[in-house]
Amino acid sequence: MGTILEVHDLTKYFGGLGAVRNVSFTLHQGETLGIIGPNGAGKTTIFNLLTGFLKPSRGMITFRGESIVGLKPWTIVNKGIARTFQIVRPFHQLTTFENVTISCLSQTGASKGRKDGGVEEKSGKFLESVGLSGKEGMLAKDLSHGDLKRLELARALATEPELLLLDEPFAGLGLQEIYSLSPLIQKLSQEGHSIIIIEHKLRELMKLVKRVITLNFGEKIADGTPEELSRDEKVIQAYLGKGGQTLVTV
Amino acid sequence: MLAKENRSLFTSERIGLLVALAILSAVPLFIENRAVVELVILANIYAVYVASWDILCGYTGRVSFGHALFIGGGAYTAALLNFYFKIPPWLTIFIGGGIAAILGLIIGMPCLRLRGPYFALATFAAAAVAHGLTDVYWEITGGLDGLYGISPIWPTLAGKYYFSLLLTVLCCGIVYAGGRSNKGLILKSIREDEMAAMASGINTTRYKLTAFVVSGFLAGAAGAFYSHNQLHVGPETLSINLSILVIIMSVVGGIGTITGPICGAYLLTIFNEMLREWEEVRLLIYTAAVVLILLFLPKGVLPTLSDAIMGLIKKKGR
Repeated sequence: MGTILEVHDLTKYFGGLGAVRNVSFTLHQGETLGIIGPNGAGKTTIFNLLTGFLKPSRGMITFRGESIVGLKPWTIVNKGIARTFQIVRPFHQLTTFENVTISCLSQTGASKGRKDGGVEEKSGKFLESVGLSGKEGMLAKDLSHGDLKRLELARALATEPELLLLDEPFAGLGLQEIYSLSPLIQKLSQEGHSIIIIEHKLRELMKLVKRVITLNFGEKIADGTPEELSRDEKVIQAYLGKGGQTLVTV
Repeated sequence: MLAKENRSLFTSERIGLLVALAILSAVPLFIENRAVVELVILANIYAVYVASWDILCGYTGRVSFGHALFIGGGAYTAALLNFYFKIPPWLTIFIGGGIAAILGLIIGMPCLRLRGPYFALATFAAAAVAHGLTDVYWEITGGLDGLYGISPIWPTLAGKYYFSLLLTVLCCGIVYAGGRSNKGLILKSIREDEMAAMASGINTTRYKLTAFVVSGFLAGAAGAFYSHNQLHVGPETLSINLSILVIIMSVVGGIGTITGPICGAYLLTIFNEMLREWEEVRLLIYTAAVVLILLFLPKGVLPTLSDAIMGLIKKKGR
Protein backbone atom coordinates (compact mmCIF):
# COMPACT_ATOMS: atom_id res chain seq x y z
CA MET A 1 0.00 0.00 0.00
CA GLY A 2 1.40 3.39 -0.99
CA THR A 3 1.50 6.49 1.15
CA ILE A 4 -1.43 8.82 0.54
CA LEU A 5 -0.62 11.47 3.15
CA GLU A 6 2.70 12.54 4.57
CA VAL A 7 2.94 15.08 7.34
CA HIS A 8 6.39 16.25 8.34
CA ASP A 9 7.36 18.58 11.17
CA LEU A 10 3.93 20.22 11.16
CA THR A 11 3.86 23.22 13.48
CA LYS A 12 1.27 25.87 14.20
CA TYR A 13 1.71 28.79 16.57
CA PHE A 14 -1.09 31.13 17.62
CA GLY A 15 0.95 34.06 18.87
CA GLY A 16 3.29 32.49 21.40
CA LEU A 17 1.18 29.37 21.89
CA GLY A 18 2.30 26.27 20.07
CA ALA A 19 -0.99 24.51 19.25
CA VAL A 20 0.77 21.88 17.11
CA ARG A 21 4.53 21.26 17.38
CA ASN A 22 6.72 19.18 15.10
CA VAL A 23 4.09 16.56 14.36
CA SER A 24 5.03 14.01 11.72
CA PHE A 25 3.13 10.96 10.51
CA THR A 26 2.16 9.13 7.36
CA LEU A 27 -1.07 7.53 6.24
CA HIS A 28 -1.20 4.65 3.82
CA GLN A 29 -3.77 4.18 1.10
CA GLY A 30 -6.90 2.57 2.57
CA GLU A 31 -5.66 2.88 6.17
CA THR A 32 -7.85 4.10 9.02
CA LEU A 33 -5.92 6.10 11.59
CA GLY A 34 -7.13 7.36 14.95
CA ILE A 35 -5.99 10.56 16.66
CA ILE A 36 -6.57 10.86 20.39
CA GLY A 37 -5.49 13.27 23.08
CA PRO A 38 -6.87 15.49 25.81
CA ASN A 39 -8.84 18.63 24.99
CA GLY A 40 -6.54 21.31 23.63
CA ALA A 41 -3.97 18.75 22.44
CA GLY A 42 -4.14 20.10 18.88
CA LYS A 43 -6.23 17.39 17.21
CA THR A 44 -8.73 19.66 15.45
CA THR A 45 -5.94 22.14 14.65
CA ILE A 46 -4.24 19.34 12.70
CA PHE A 47 -7.47 18.82 10.72
CA ASN A 48 -7.67 22.56 10.08
CA LEU A 49 -4.08 22.50 8.84
CA LEU A 50 -4.66 19.48 6.62
CA THR A 51 -7.76 21.03 5.04
CA GLY A 52 -6.34 24.51 4.46
CA PHE A 53 -8.46 26.35 7.03
CA LEU A 54 -5.21 27.22 8.80
CA LYS A 55 -1.75 27.79 7.38
CA PRO A 56 1.06 25.99 9.18
CA SER A 57 3.80 28.05 10.78
CA ARG A 58 6.23 25.41 9.63
CA GLY A 59 6.22 21.93 8.15
CA MET A 60 5.15 19.99 5.13
CA ILE A 61 1.93 18.24 4.13
CA THR A 62 2.04 16.04 1.06
CA PHE A 63 -1.07 14.46 -0.39
CA ARG A 64 -0.50 11.85 -3.10
CA GLY A 65 3.03 13.17 -3.49
CA GLU A 66 1.99 16.80 -3.93
CA SER A 67 2.40 19.56 -1.36
CA ILE A 68 -0.94 21.02 -0.27
CA VAL A 69 0.46 23.66 2.10
CA GLY A 70 -0.97 27.10 1.33
CA LEU A 71 -3.80 25.81 -0.85
CA LYS A 72 -7.32 27.10 -0.28
CA PRO A 73 -9.77 24.75 1.50
CA TRP A 74 -11.87 24.20 -1.64
CA THR A 75 -8.80 23.32 -3.69
CA ILE A 76 -7.82 20.74 -1.09
CA VAL A 77 -11.35 19.30 -1.12
CA ASN A 78 -11.20 19.08 -4.88
CA LYS A 79 -7.87 17.28 -4.65
CA GLY A 80 -9.61 14.59 -2.61
CA ILE A 81 -9.56 15.45 1.10
CA ALA A 82 -12.93 15.96 2.79
CA ARG A 83 -13.72 16.61 6.42
CA THR A 84 -16.52 16.71 8.93
CA PHE A 85 -16.69 19.08 11.88
CA GLN A 86 -16.66 18.36 15.59
CA ILE A 87 -19.71 20.59 16.01
CA VAL A 88 -21.93 19.91 13.03
CA ARG A 89 -22.23 22.76 10.53
CA PRO A 90 -25.28 22.06 8.38
CA PHE A 91 -26.85 24.68 6.12
CA HIS A 92 -29.82 25.04 8.48
CA GLN A 93 -32.29 26.70 6.14
CA LEU A 94 -31.62 24.31 3.26
CA THR A 95 -33.13 20.87 2.87
CA THR A 96 -31.17 17.72 3.53
CA PHE A 97 -31.08 17.12 -0.20
CA GLU A 98 -29.80 20.61 -0.95
CA ASN A 99 -27.12 20.25 1.74
CA VAL A 100 -25.65 17.29 -0.13
CA THR A 101 -26.23 18.84 -3.56
CA ILE A 102 -23.85 21.68 -2.61
CA SER A 103 -21.02 19.15 -2.22
CA CYS A 104 -22.00 17.46 -5.48
CA LEU A 105 -21.63 20.86 -7.16
CA SER A 106 -18.02 21.22 -6.05
CA GLN A 107 -15.47 20.94 -8.81
CA THR A 108 -14.75 17.27 -8.19
CA GLY A 109 -18.33 16.32 -7.45
CA ALA A 110 -19.69 18.13 -10.52
CA SER A 111 -17.15 16.71 -12.93
CA LYS A 112 -17.69 13.21 -11.61
CA GLY A 113 -21.44 13.85 -11.64
CA ARG A 114 -21.42 14.50 -15.35
CA LYS A 115 -19.84 11.11 -15.93
CA ASP A 116 -21.69 9.04 -13.35
CA GLY A 117 -25.16 10.57 -13.56
CA GLY A 118 -26.82 13.82 -12.63
CA VAL A 119 -26.25 15.84 -9.49
CA GLU A 120 -29.77 14.98 -8.26
CA GLU A 121 -29.15 11.29 -8.68
CA LYS A 122 -25.82 11.55 -6.91
CA SER A 123 -27.26 13.53 -4.00
CA GLY A 124 -29.96 10.91 -3.52
CA LYS A 125 -27.35 8.15 -3.65
CA PHE A 126 -25.20 9.73 -0.93
CA LEU A 127 -28.20 10.40 1.31
CA GLU A 128 -29.23 6.79 0.90
CA SER A 129 -25.71 5.59 1.71
CA VAL A 130 -25.85 7.25 5.13
CA GLY A 131 -29.42 6.18 5.84
CA LEU A 132 -31.17 9.50 5.26
CA SER A 133 -33.51 8.33 2.50
CA GLY A 134 -37.00 9.68 2.98
CA LYS A 135 -35.71 12.82 4.71
CA GLU A 136 -34.62 14.64 1.53
CA GLY A 137 -37.22 17.39 1.82
CA MET A 138 -36.64 18.11 5.52
CA LEU A 139 -34.86 21.30 6.48
CA ALA A 140 -31.51 20.56 8.14
CA LYS A 141 -32.59 22.57 11.20
CA ASP A 142 -35.36 20.03 11.81
CA LEU A 143 -33.06 16.98 11.86
CA SER A 144 -32.00 15.18 15.03
CA HIS A 145 -28.37 15.40 16.15
CA GLY A 146 -27.74 11.87 14.96
CA ASP A 147 -29.15 12.64 11.54
CA LEU A 148 -27.07 15.82 11.37
CA LYS A 149 -23.94 13.72 11.94
CA ARG A 150 -25.04 11.48 9.07
CA LEU A 151 -25.76 14.50 6.91
CA GLU A 152 -22.29 15.85 7.67
CA LEU A 153 -20.84 12.53 6.55
CA ALA A 154 -22.98 12.48 3.39
CA ARG A 155 -21.81 15.99 2.52
CA ALA A 156 -18.18 14.97 2.90
CA LEU A 157 -18.73 11.80 0.86
CA ALA A 158 -20.48 13.76 -1.90
CA THR A 159 -17.18 15.49 -2.72
CA GLU A 160 -15.95 11.97 -3.54
CA PRO A 161 -12.81 12.09 -1.41
CA GLU A 162 -9.93 9.69 -1.23
CA LEU A 163 -9.10 10.80 2.29
CA LEU A 164 -11.83 11.39 4.84
CA LEU A 165 -11.17 13.33 8.05
CA LEU A 166 -13.82 12.68 10.70
CA ASP A 167 -13.74 15.02 13.69
CA GLU A 168 -15.43 13.33 16.63
CA PRO A 169 -18.11 11.53 14.64
CA PHE A 170 -19.63 10.04 17.80
CA ALA A 171 -19.71 13.24 19.89
CA GLY A 172 -23.13 13.88 21.38
CA LEU A 173 -24.57 10.59 20.12
CA GLY A 174 -26.33 7.97 22.20
CA LEU A 175 -25.25 4.33 22.15
CA GLN A 176 -27.87 3.30 19.61
CA GLU A 177 -26.82 6.08 17.25
CA ILE A 178 -23.15 5.16 17.69
CA TYR A 179 -23.92 1.51 16.95
CA SER A 180 -25.63 2.48 13.71
CA LEU A 181 -22.97 5.02 12.60
CA SER A 182 -19.97 2.86 13.40
CA PRO A 183 -20.69 0.17 10.74
CA LEU A 184 -21.11 2.95 8.21
CA ILE A 185 -17.56 4.16 8.86
CA GLN A 186 -16.33 0.58 8.78
CA LYS A 187 -17.99 0.14 5.39
CA LEU A 188 -16.25 3.25 4.06
CA SER A 189 -12.95 1.84 5.21
CA GLN A 190 -13.67 -1.48 3.52
CA GLU A 191 -14.56 0.36 0.33
CA GLY A 192 -10.99 1.66 0.28
CA HIS A 193 -11.32 5.17 1.71
CA SER A 194 -8.34 6.37 3.72
CA ILE A 195 -9.72 7.75 6.97
CA ILE A 196 -8.41 9.73 9.93
CA ILE A 197 -10.70 9.83 12.95
CA ILE A 198 -10.45 12.12 15.96
CA GLU A 199 -12.49 10.65 18.77
CA HIS A 200 -12.77 10.69 22.54
CA LYS A 201 -14.97 7.59 22.72
CA LEU A 202 -12.01 5.24 22.73
CA ARG A 203 -13.84 1.93 22.89
CA GLU A 204 -15.73 2.82 19.69
CA LEU A 205 -12.66 4.28 18.01
CA MET A 206 -10.56 1.20 18.60
CA LYS A 207 -13.11 -0.95 16.76
CA LEU A 208 -12.45 1.13 13.67
CA VAL A 209 -8.67 1.67 13.66
CA LYS A 210 -5.52 -0.40 13.73
CA ARG A 211 -3.18 2.51 14.44
CA VAL A 212 -3.54 5.47 16.77
CA ILE A 213 -1.59 8.69 17.24
CA THR A 214 -1.68 10.35 20.64
CA LEU A 215 -1.20 14.08 21.01
CA ASN A 216 -0.51 16.08 24.13
CA PHE A 217 0.10 19.85 24.29
CA GLY A 218 0.47 19.93 20.50
CA GLU A 219 3.12 17.21 20.36
CA LYS A 220 2.90 13.64 19.18
CA ILE A 221 3.70 11.46 22.15
CA ALA A 222 2.86 8.06 20.70
CA ASP A 223 2.10 6.28 17.43
CA GLY A 224 1.17 2.62 17.43
CA THR A 225 -1.47 -0.04 17.71
CA PRO A 226 -4.17 0.24 20.43
CA GLU A 227 -2.35 -2.48 22.37
CA GLU A 228 0.94 -0.63 22.23
CA LEU A 229 -0.74 2.58 23.40
CA SER A 230 -2.38 0.83 26.34
CA ARG A 231 1.12 0.02 27.62
CA ASP A 232 2.68 3.39 26.81
CA GLU A 233 3.48 5.24 30.05
CA LYS A 234 3.30 8.69 28.41
CA VAL A 235 -0.14 7.99 26.97
CA ILE A 236 -1.42 6.61 30.26
CA GLN A 237 -0.12 9.63 32.11
CA ALA A 238 -1.35 12.23 29.63
CA TYR A 239 -4.68 10.84 28.54
CA LEU A 240 -5.83 7.40 29.60
CA GLY A 241 -5.23 7.69 33.30
CA LYS A 242 -4.86 4.87 35.75
CA GLY A 243 -7.08 1.97 34.70
CA GLY A 244 -7.83 3.61 31.39
CA GLN A 245 -5.84 0.98 29.48
CA THR A 246 -8.94 -1.19 29.18
CA LEU A 247 -10.56 1.52 27.06
CA VAL A 248 -8.13 1.05 24.20
CA THR A 249 -8.21 -2.73 24.10
CA VAL A 250 -11.16 -4.06 22.18
CA MET B 1 -35.99 16.60 -5.91
CA LEU B 2 -38.56 19.03 -4.54
CA ALA B 3 -41.11 18.21 -1.91
CA LYS B 4 -44.74 18.30 -3.11
CA GLU B 5 -45.45 21.51 -1.15
CA ASN B 6 -42.35 23.18 -2.58
CA ARG B 7 -43.48 22.35 -6.10
CA SER B 8 -46.92 23.82 -5.35
CA LEU B 9 -45.30 26.95 -3.98
CA PHE B 10 -43.02 27.17 -6.99
CA THR B 11 -46.00 26.89 -9.34
CA SER B 12 -48.08 29.43 -7.42
CA GLU B 13 -45.07 31.78 -7.36
CA ARG B 14 -44.73 31.54 -11.13
CA ILE B 15 -48.44 32.11 -11.63
CA GLY B 16 -48.17 35.14 -9.34
CA LEU B 17 -45.26 36.49 -11.37
CA LEU B 18 -47.15 36.08 -14.65
CA VAL B 19 -50.19 37.86 -13.22
CA ALA B 20 -47.95 40.68 -11.95
CA LEU B 21 -46.30 40.94 -15.37
CA ALA B 22 -49.70 41.04 -17.10
CA ILE B 23 -50.86 43.85 -14.79
CA LEU B 24 -47.64 45.82 -15.31
CA SER B 25 -47.87 45.37 -19.09
CA ALA B 26 -51.37 46.83 -19.06
CA VAL B 27 -50.53 49.96 -17.05
CA PRO B 28 -50.02 52.45 -19.94
CA LEU B 29 -53.01 50.98 -21.79
CA PHE B 30 -55.51 51.61 -19.02
CA ILE B 31 -54.03 54.44 -16.99
CA GLU B 32 -54.08 57.84 -18.60
CA ASN B 33 -52.67 59.76 -15.66
CA ARG B 34 -49.06 60.54 -16.62
CA ALA B 35 -47.94 60.85 -12.98
CA VAL B 36 -49.12 57.32 -12.18
CA VAL B 37 -47.28 55.85 -15.17
CA GLU B 38 -44.13 57.78 -14.17
CA LEU B 39 -44.54 56.38 -10.66
CA VAL B 40 -44.67 52.80 -11.91
CA ILE B 41 -41.57 53.48 -14.04
CA LEU B 42 -39.82 54.58 -10.85
CA ALA B 43 -41.06 51.44 -9.07
CA ASN B 44 -39.70 49.35 -11.97
CA ILE B 45 -36.28 50.94 -11.50
CA TYR B 46 -36.42 50.36 -7.72
CA ALA B 47 -37.39 46.74 -8.40
CA VAL B 48 -34.10 46.27 -10.27
CA TYR B 49 -32.16 48.04 -7.49
CA VAL B 50 -33.54 45.76 -4.79
CA ALA B 51 -33.25 42.58 -6.85
CA SER B 52 -29.57 43.41 -7.45
CA TRP B 53 -29.10 44.11 -3.73
CA ASP B 54 -30.80 40.86 -2.79
CA ILE B 55 -28.59 38.67 -4.98
CA LEU B 56 -25.54 40.17 -3.28
CA CYS B 57 -26.74 40.62 0.27
CA GLY B 58 -29.83 38.45 0.74
CA TYR B 59 -28.14 35.46 -0.88
CA THR B 60 -24.61 35.75 0.48
CA GLY B 61 -25.63 37.19 3.85
CA ARG B 62 -23.44 40.28 3.63
CA VAL B 63 -25.40 43.47 4.15
CA SER B 64 -24.11 46.27 1.96
CA PHE B 65 -24.82 49.83 3.07
CA GLY B 66 -23.26 51.23 -0.08
CA HIS B 67 -25.37 49.90 -2.91
CA ALA B 68 -25.86 53.47 -4.11
CA LEU B 69 -22.25 53.26 -5.32
CA PHE B 70 -23.36 50.95 -8.13
CA ILE B 71 -26.60 52.82 -8.81
CA GLY B 72 -24.85 56.19 -8.84
CA GLY B 73 -21.85 54.78 -10.69
CA GLY B 74 -24.14 53.60 -13.48
CA ALA B 75 -26.17 56.81 -13.42
CA TYR B 76 -23.12 59.10 -13.65
CA THR B 77 -21.43 56.94 -16.31
CA ALA B 78 -24.53 57.05 -18.52
CA ALA B 79 -25.12 60.75 -17.91
CA LEU B 80 -21.51 61.80 -18.55
CA LEU B 81 -21.22 59.70 -21.70
CA ASN B 82 -24.48 61.03 -23.04
CA PHE B 83 -23.91 64.64 -21.98
CA TYR B 84 -20.31 65.04 -23.18
CA PHE B 85 -20.03 62.45 -25.95
CA LYS B 86 -23.64 62.15 -27.11
CA ILE B 87 -23.57 58.38 -26.80
CA PRO B 88 -27.11 57.02 -27.25
CA PRO B 89 -29.02 55.90 -24.13
CA TRP B 90 -29.35 52.24 -25.13
CA LEU B 91 -25.55 52.04 -25.18
CA THR B 92 -24.94 54.14 -22.06
CA ILE B 93 -27.22 51.83 -20.06
CA PHE B 94 -25.06 48.90 -21.03
CA ILE B 95 -21.80 50.78 -20.39
CA GLY B 96 -23.19 52.12 -17.09
CA GLY B 97 -23.87 48.55 -15.99
CA GLY B 98 -20.37 47.54 -17.11
CA ILE B 99 -18.65 50.33 -15.15
CA ALA B 100 -20.71 49.46 -12.06
CA ALA B 101 -19.71 45.81 -12.49
CA ILE B 102 -16.05 46.87 -12.58
CA LEU B 103 -16.67 48.93 -9.43
CA GLY B 104 -18.16 45.77 -7.91
CA LEU B 105 -14.97 43.90 -8.72
CA ILE B 106 -12.71 46.65 -7.35
CA ILE B 107 -14.72 47.07 -4.14
CA GLY B 108 -15.54 43.38 -3.85
CA MET B 109 -11.98 42.07 -3.78
CA PRO B 110 -10.90 43.80 -0.56
CA CYS B 111 -14.38 43.97 1.02
CA LEU B 112 -15.30 40.30 0.73
CA ARG B 113 -12.72 39.42 3.33
CA LEU B 114 -14.78 41.48 5.78
CA ARG B 115 -17.89 40.38 7.60
CA GLY B 116 -20.81 41.89 9.49
CA PRO B 117 -20.50 45.55 10.45
CA TYR B 118 -17.01 45.81 8.91
CA PHE B 119 -18.36 44.85 5.50
CA ALA B 120 -21.32 47.22 5.92
CA LEU B 121 -19.01 50.08 6.90
CA ALA B 122 -16.57 49.43 4.05
CA THR B 123 -19.34 49.49 1.44
CA PHE B 124 -20.84 52.57 3.08
CA ALA B 125 -17.45 54.31 2.95
CA ALA B 126 -16.96 53.42 -0.74
CA ALA B 127 -20.30 55.02 -1.63
CA ALA B 128 -19.53 58.04 0.56
CA VAL B 129 -16.19 58.56 -1.21
CA ALA B 130 -17.90 58.42 -4.61
CA HIS B 131 -20.51 60.90 -3.34
CA GLY B 132 -17.72 63.23 -2.25
CA LEU B 133 -15.94 62.92 -5.59
CA THR B 134 -18.95 64.36 -7.42
CA ASP B 135 -18.34 67.56 -5.46
CA VAL B 136 -14.57 67.53 -5.91
CA TYR B 137 -14.91 67.20 -9.69
CA TRP B 138 -17.88 69.58 -9.88
CA GLU B 139 -16.73 71.04 -13.19
CA ILE B 140 -17.40 67.70 -14.83
CA THR B 141 -20.22 66.33 -12.69
CA GLY B 142 -22.11 69.55 -12.05
CA GLY B 143 -21.42 69.33 -8.30
CA LEU B 144 -24.41 69.41 -5.99
CA ASP B 145 -26.75 70.50 -8.80
CA GLY B 146 -25.76 67.62 -11.00
CA LEU B 147 -26.09 67.58 -14.75
CA TYR B 148 -29.24 68.52 -16.66
CA GLY B 149 -29.96 67.86 -20.30
CA ILE B 150 -29.51 64.11 -20.46
CA SER B 151 -31.26 62.57 -23.47
CA PRO B 152 -34.53 60.77 -22.84
CA ILE B 153 -34.55 57.05 -23.32
CA TRP B 154 -37.67 57.22 -25.49
CA PRO B 155 -39.67 60.17 -26.82
CA THR B 156 -43.07 58.86 -25.72
CA LEU B 157 -44.26 57.97 -22.23
CA ALA B 158 -45.55 54.54 -23.28
CA GLY B 159 -42.25 53.76 -25.01
CA LYS B 160 -40.31 54.82 -21.94
CA TYR B 161 -42.59 52.74 -19.75
CA TYR B 162 -42.19 49.59 -21.82
CA PHE B 163 -38.44 50.12 -21.98
CA SER B 164 -38.38 50.29 -18.18
CA LEU B 165 -40.54 47.17 -17.98
CA LEU B 166 -38.25 45.33 -20.40
CA LEU B 167 -35.23 46.30 -18.30
CA THR B 168 -37.04 45.16 -15.14
CA VAL B 169 -38.10 41.84 -16.63
CA LEU B 170 -34.61 41.19 -18.02
CA CYS B 171 -32.71 42.16 -14.88
CA CYS B 172 -35.12 40.62 -12.39
CA GLY B 173 -35.42 37.55 -14.63
CA ILE B 174 -31.65 37.08 -14.54
CA VAL B 175 -31.62 37.42 -10.75
CA TYR B 176 -34.67 35.17 -10.34
CA ALA B 177 -33.26 32.43 -12.57
CA GLY B 178 -29.83 32.76 -10.97
CA GLY B 179 -31.28 32.63 -7.47
CA ARG B 180 -33.14 29.41 -8.23
CA SER B 181 -30.26 27.75 -10.06
CA ASN B 182 -27.47 25.67 -8.55
CA LYS B 183 -25.40 28.86 -8.35
CA GLY B 184 -28.13 30.44 -6.22
CA LEU B 185 -28.07 27.39 -4.00
CA ILE B 186 -24.32 27.78 -3.57
CA LEU B 187 -24.74 31.47 -2.65
CA LYS B 188 -27.33 30.45 -0.06
CA SER B 189 -24.89 27.94 1.40
CA ILE B 190 -22.32 30.73 1.75
CA ARG B 191 -24.91 32.80 3.61
CA GLU B 192 -25.71 29.86 5.90
CA ASP B 193 -22.14 28.88 6.76
CA GLU B 194 -19.19 29.95 4.67
CA MET B 195 -16.75 27.56 6.36
CA ALA B 196 -19.03 24.59 5.69
CA ALA B 197 -19.42 25.72 2.09
CA MET B 198 -15.63 25.77 1.71
CA ALA B 199 -15.47 22.31 3.28
CA SER B 200 -17.96 21.21 0.61
CA GLY B 201 -15.43 22.23 -2.04
CA ILE B 202 -17.02 25.53 -2.99
CA ASN B 203 -14.73 28.36 -4.09
CA THR B 204 -16.58 30.88 -1.96
CA THR B 205 -14.43 33.85 -2.98
CA ARG B 206 -15.26 33.34 -6.66
CA TYR B 207 -18.99 33.08 -5.99
CA LYS B 208 -19.09 36.12 -3.71
CA LEU B 209 -17.14 38.15 -6.23
CA THR B 210 -19.42 37.02 -9.05
CA ALA B 211 -22.42 38.08 -6.96
CA PHE B 212 -20.77 41.50 -6.46
CA VAL B 213 -20.13 41.92 -10.19
CA VAL B 214 -23.60 40.77 -11.31
CA SER B 215 -25.23 42.88 -8.61
CA GLY B 216 -23.14 45.88 -9.65
CA PHE B 217 -24.00 45.46 -13.32
CA LEU B 218 -27.74 45.28 -12.73
CA ALA B 219 -27.82 48.17 -10.26
CA GLY B 220 -25.62 50.21 -12.61
CA ALA B 221 -27.87 49.52 -15.60
CA ALA B 222 -30.91 50.57 -13.56
CA GLY B 223 -29.06 53.69 -12.36
CA ALA B 224 -28.19 54.55 -15.96
CA PHE B 225 -31.82 54.17 -16.96
CA TYR B 226 -32.78 56.40 -14.03
CA SER B 227 -30.61 59.27 -15.28
CA HIS B 228 -32.16 59.02 -18.77
CA ASN B 229 -35.60 58.84 -17.18
CA GLN B 230 -35.06 61.90 -14.99
CA LEU B 231 -33.05 63.69 -17.74
CA HIS B 232 -30.74 64.60 -14.90
CA VAL B 233 -28.11 63.06 -12.67
CA GLY B 234 -27.16 64.32 -9.23
CA PRO B 235 -25.37 63.23 -6.05
CA GLU B 236 -28.65 61.89 -4.64
CA THR B 237 -28.02 58.77 -6.76
CA LEU B 238 -24.98 58.10 -4.56
CA SER B 239 -26.57 59.03 -1.25
CA ILE B 240 -26.83 56.88 1.85
CA ASN B 241 -30.62 57.48 1.76
CA LEU B 242 -30.85 55.46 -1.44
CA SER B 243 -28.67 52.67 -0.02
CA ILE B 244 -30.90 52.47 3.04
CA LEU B 245 -34.12 52.67 1.01
CA VAL B 246 -33.01 49.61 -0.97
CA ILE B 247 -32.39 47.71 2.28
CA ILE B 248 -35.79 48.73 3.71
CA MET B 249 -37.58 47.61 0.53
CA SER B 250 -35.75 44.27 0.62
CA VAL B 251 -36.45 43.63 4.28
CA VAL B 252 -40.11 44.63 4.02
CA GLY B 253 -40.59 42.42 0.96
CA GLY B 254 -38.66 39.43 2.32
CA ILE B 255 -34.89 39.42 2.19
CA GLY B 256 -33.14 36.61 0.32
CA THR B 257 -36.13 35.64 -1.80
CA ILE B 258 -35.69 37.90 -4.89
CA THR B 259 -39.45 38.09 -5.51
CA GLY B 260 -40.02 39.45 -1.99
CA PRO B 261 -37.75 42.50 -2.33
CA ILE B 262 -39.19 43.22 -5.80
CA CYS B 263 -42.64 43.15 -4.25
CA GLY B 264 -41.34 45.43 -1.47
CA ALA B 265 -40.09 47.92 -4.07
CA TYR B 266 -43.52 48.27 -5.68
CA LEU B 267 -45.34 48.32 -2.34
CA LEU B 268 -43.23 51.03 -0.73
CA THR B 269 -42.86 53.21 -3.84
CA ILE B 270 -46.61 53.30 -4.35
CA PHE B 271 -47.35 53.57 -0.62
CA ASN B 272 -44.96 56.49 -0.26
CA GLU B 273 -46.66 58.29 -3.14
CA MET B 274 -50.12 57.65 -1.71
CA LEU B 275 -49.04 59.43 1.47
CA ARG B 276 -48.30 62.67 -0.39
CA GLU B 277 -51.81 63.85 0.46
CA TRP B 278 -50.74 63.91 4.13
CA GLU B 279 -47.40 65.59 3.58
CA GLU B 280 -46.95 66.74 7.21
CA VAL B 281 -47.24 63.24 8.64
CA ARG B 282 -46.04 61.28 5.61
CA LEU B 283 -42.69 60.31 7.04
CA LEU B 284 -44.25 59.37 10.37
CA ILE B 285 -46.84 57.06 8.77
CA TYR B 286 -44.26 55.59 6.39
CA THR B 287 -41.84 54.82 9.21
CA ALA B 288 -44.58 53.44 11.45
CA ALA B 289 -45.78 51.13 8.68
CA VAL B 290 -42.25 49.85 8.06
CA VAL B 291 -41.66 49.26 11.78
CA LEU B 292 -44.99 47.43 12.12
CA ILE B 293 -44.16 45.19 9.17
CA LEU B 294 -40.74 44.41 10.65
CA LEU B 295 -42.35 43.66 14.03
CA PHE B 296 -45.27 41.53 12.91
CA LEU B 297 -44.01 40.14 9.60
CA PRO B 298 -40.30 39.63 10.33
CA LYS B 299 -39.87 37.30 7.36
CA GLY B 300 -41.26 40.01 5.08
CA VAL B 301 -44.60 40.51 3.34
CA LEU B 302 -44.22 38.01 0.51
CA PRO B 303 -42.78 35.04 2.48
CA THR B 304 -45.56 35.50 5.06
CA LEU B 305 -48.10 35.47 2.26
CA SER B 306 -46.43 32.38 0.76
CA ASP B 307 -46.56 30.62 4.13
CA ALA B 308 -50.28 31.39 4.36
CA ILE B 309 -50.83 29.94 0.86
CA MET B 310 -48.78 26.87 1.80
CA GLY B 311 -50.94 26.42 4.89
CA LEU B 312 -54.05 26.51 2.72
CA ILE B 313 -52.60 24.00 0.25
CA LYS B 314 -51.68 21.65 3.09
CA LYS B 315 -55.18 21.98 4.57
CA LYS B 316 -56.75 21.18 1.20
CA GLY B 317 -54.42 18.23 0.76
CA ARG B 318 -55.64 16.60 3.99
